[in-house]
Amino acid sequence: MSPPCFAALLALSAAAFAGIPFLAGDYAIGVALNLLMWIALTQSWVVLSAMTGYVSLGHAVFFGAGAYAMVLCFGSLPFWASVIVAGGATGLLALVVGYPCLRVRGPYFVILTFGLAELVKFVVINIEAALGQFGRLLFGGPGLAEIFYVVLALAAASAAITYSVRRSRFGAGLRAIRENEEAAETLGIDVARYKVLAFALSAVVPGMVGAAMVMRTTYFEPLDLFNPITSFTIVSIAIIGGGDDVPGPVYGAFFLVLLQEMLWANWPEIYMILLGALLVAFVLGVPDGIHGRIASWRRARG
Amino acid sequence: MKKLLTAIAAALAGSIAAEAAEPVKIGFSESKTGLFAQAATSQYQSYNLWREQVNAAGGLDVAGTRRMVEFVSYDDQSNPGKAVQIYEKLITDDKVDLLLAPWGTSLHLAIAGVIERYKFPVVGNTAASVQLRKLKAGNIWFPTSLFPDRQSEVLAALLKDRGVSSAALVTNQLPYTQENKSFVVPALKKAGIELVLNEDYPPDVKDLTALLNKVKNAKPDAVLAYTYPADAVLYMKGAREIGLDQQTQVVLLGPQYDFFGKIFGPARNGILTMGHWTPARKDWPSARAFADAFKARWKTDPDFLDAPLAYVSAEILQQAVARAGLDKDRLRETVAGTTFATINGPVRFEGVMNVALPTMISQIQGGTQHIVWPPRERTAEAIAKPAWK
Amino acid sequence: MADLLSGQLLIAALVLAGIYGLVALGLNLIYGTMRLLNVAHGEILMLGGYLAYWCFTLTGVGPIWSMFLALVLAGGFGAVVYRTLCRRVLRSARLIEQIEANSLLVLFGVSIILQNAIALSFTATARAYPYLDDIVRIGGFQVTADRLVVLGIGLALCFAVILFFRFSGTGLAIRALIEQPDAAHLVGVDVERMRTIAFALGFGIAGVAGCLISMLEQVSPFMGFPFTIAAFIVIILGGLGNIAGGLAGAAVLALIEVYGVALTSASMRSILIYGVFIAILVWRPQGLFGRRSVVR
Repeated sequence: MSPPCFAALLALSAAAFAGIPFLAGDYAIGVALNLLMWIALTQSWVVLSAMTGYVSLGHAVFFGAGAYAMVLCFGSLPFWASVIVAGGATGLLALVVGYPCLRVRGPYFVILTFGLAELVKFVVINIEAALGQFGRLLFGGPGLAEIFYVVLALAAASAAITYSVRRSRFGAGLRAIRENEEAAETLGIDVARYKVLAFALSAVVPGMVGAAMVMRTTYFEPLDLFNPITSFTIVSIAIIGGGDDVPGPVYGAFFLVLLQEMLWANWPEIYMILLGALLVAFVLGVPDGIHGRIASWRRARG
Repeated sequence: MKKLLTAIAAALAGSIAAEAAEPVKIGFSESKTGLFAQAATSQYQSYNLWREQVNAAGGLDVAGTRRMVEFVSYDDQSNPGKAVQIYEKLITDDKVDLLLAPWGTSLHLAIAGVIERYKFPVVGNTAASVQLRKLKAGNIWFPTSLFPDRQSEVLAALLKDRGVSSAALVTNQLPYTQENKSFVVPALKKAGIELVLNEDYPPDVKDLTALLNKVKNAKPDAVLAYTYPADAVLYMKGAREIGLDQQTQVVLLGPQYDFFGKIFGPARNGILTMGHWTPARKDWPSARAFADAFKARWKTDPDFLDAPLAYVSAEILQQAVARAGLDKDRLRETVAGTTFATINGPVRFEGVMNVALPTMISQIQGGTQHIVWPPRERTAEAIAKPAWK
Repeated sequence: MADLLSGQLLIAALVLAGIYGLVALGLNLIYGTMRLLNVAHGEILMLGGYLAYWCFTLTGVGPIWSMFLALVLAGGFGAVVYRTLCRRVLRSARLIEQIEANSLLVLFGVSIILQNAIALSFTATARAYPYLDDIVRIGGFQVTADRLVVLGIGLALCFAVILFFRFSGTGLAIRALIEQPDAAHLVGVDVERMRTIAFALGFGIAGVAGCLISMLEQVSPFMGFPFTIAAFIVIILGGLGNIAGGLAGAAVLALIEVYGVALTSASMRSILIYGVFIAILVWRPQGLFGRRSVVR
């Protein structure tokens, strides 16, 4: 897809979403908000993990750290400013920890990122305990619509980031690292710098999303905001969507969010079991993800 | 035979009444999966016990008309965001007639905004935090008296009465225990009790030996273990193993649950804990009946915290609906202005709080939980914790 | 300071190391051999725990005996999971490209199914039973008998597996598969069979671990995840597929949990554990005893 085409499509989709708060009730807005949240989170994950092959199982760390930045700014900065501060903070966090962590590869890296998320979670828990805090109530924050537009903007921004990285020299470098890191190095790619940059780039949006979403529940508790399930869900959506480009996360998020909505509303007793079974069936039945499947249909039709 | 016939007659009467009127739809979210799933089960069990009892008696009295009760519930995955969504769905999409509360402080706080927006009254239950008092009164109420600030004062008074002059405090880093810690430290100081050790531990701890060893060496008169249920087990096993022989040991969350008795049996005798309900109270005649019905229905004893509180909130709703019907405004006025008779004694709200129920401290004695403090509320005298067997 | 030398802390650390080692052993076989990110590991433990609970409550048979049943049942379940699900992941050229993420998703699905099927059948209520909880005095310190039993069986199993890898034909073949997957295939190792065995063994040992753990803490449908995490940390620390390394990893974890807390504060426990874990990996990216060849 050419850049003008992509820009037009992105603008159209964003406009369509922007209309939702005017047309739908709170419940539907909530579902759409969820959808946008997962799109934004997974697009960011793709920049690091799908492009370089360094699978992060700890993206909840940026979500949670962003939420915590929001909590600390709450009351002293306006909502949107806190969101930006949160993005800056998580980007910085990624820059600091990125270099040592990205020396670790393969299966070791997967668990390392998971451990990192847990470490930060417990550091935050300790800080809160030391401050004498016990779960923070955040009253007087932004309304649902305001949060929705912020997350919409973040989803659009993250899609634009994925799109441009994928088509840049930087993105080509990242994919070269995925194919063969040693070869990439001999080609003159500054592997270490590329990886750290990708890591930082993939951390900014989740931090901002976490900052916005914590205001949705008006309550901050580290165990909830750093929940490993967030990391797992991001990986699930990326795999279901497939590929290392913009459409994958969008398809994946639509599929998972709508499926969950449908299942829990209709089969509240067994929906988790069904969800589990569908995840298994999906990976085995559609190994390329939705994006890959659609692409091969297109090719088959010529 | 006669019993059977009356039962059939009652059932028939019930079904006829039910045919006559649409069922009343009552919605709530339950934490079936996730962090709270284990703790939240008894709330769900109490709700269902209540529904079955109401339906067996011919239905819910809605300002004079009997109507069957039907539940609409969804799993919130212990996730506050999900609970918010579910209550939005229950109100706007399922259009339920009444709502029951979700489990735990964080979910109560999370849904407070939704019910305020839709002016939908909900009687809360399993939440206790001083932060709840910041909520706007009018659509949510809390029957509990386990608020950490009051609880800490009452506990300090009990400890002083027992002649405790020094204490060690170990605290889980989760919110409820942290909140209790923040109030009990000054309360102890005020009561002239020296805090010889004060250390936190993280919720995923797997072994407390090293920490309890420090407690042992500090030789306090009393040990305060501010635990959640999982680490309460670690505390008990560790304390027994290294021989913490203090005669005053407080275990905050854990001893109230059925599984705790299954593991420790008589070894938990004399453990002090929080709780304001016991089937042993003679002046709460329905308390025993509730405990028996719960046991008969679910094959486990009710815990002494969430099960009765959940049931109390349903009783309040039931009595309010009998007077006011389903109209939200009238219901709100009725809940706010009536004294209710429940398995936990009378309940009367001022603001969001139940002012009819004092804060109490309980103790495990002879396999059940008794109220031991304050003296005018107690069902048994507090005992010194016997040596570990 | 005298505290640190007390037998009480030493035995606590030993017992904990035994538990961690036992919990991680089964995972090491699966993640180590096939790089399948088995996030359902803790759920197999949970199943073992339920088996022990029901055996004890209904028939009075203790976990010392029901663990043999757990070994067989969980092992059989492992073979089925491998043959029906995981084999396909390993065979598909597309799936193997992102083996970690794909296997994560499949086994995440399996773990969700198991958790919720158990919650639906038995409710999420915690369950427990008293067993071997007499206090044993050894020298100057005391310990409950169940913890000693877990330590003993845990160590015995670890050594049995180490011996199996060193001396039995099957064990050697599986080890070859861990260390040189391509070469193992070339020299005629029946890869399929070895993988099925590794899977069955991994699940079976996890089931046994669950049986034994149920003596120490209450069982509930959602108890598994913390064990999964602990197991991953142990085997990554020790180096994937390295059984003796796994024991060392378990010891590191236990030492931090006991002596780290004794020296600093209990509030530092988890920060120390994850901090040391990350520091070790940054220092040695293949774990303490891992080999370079394990990584692609």
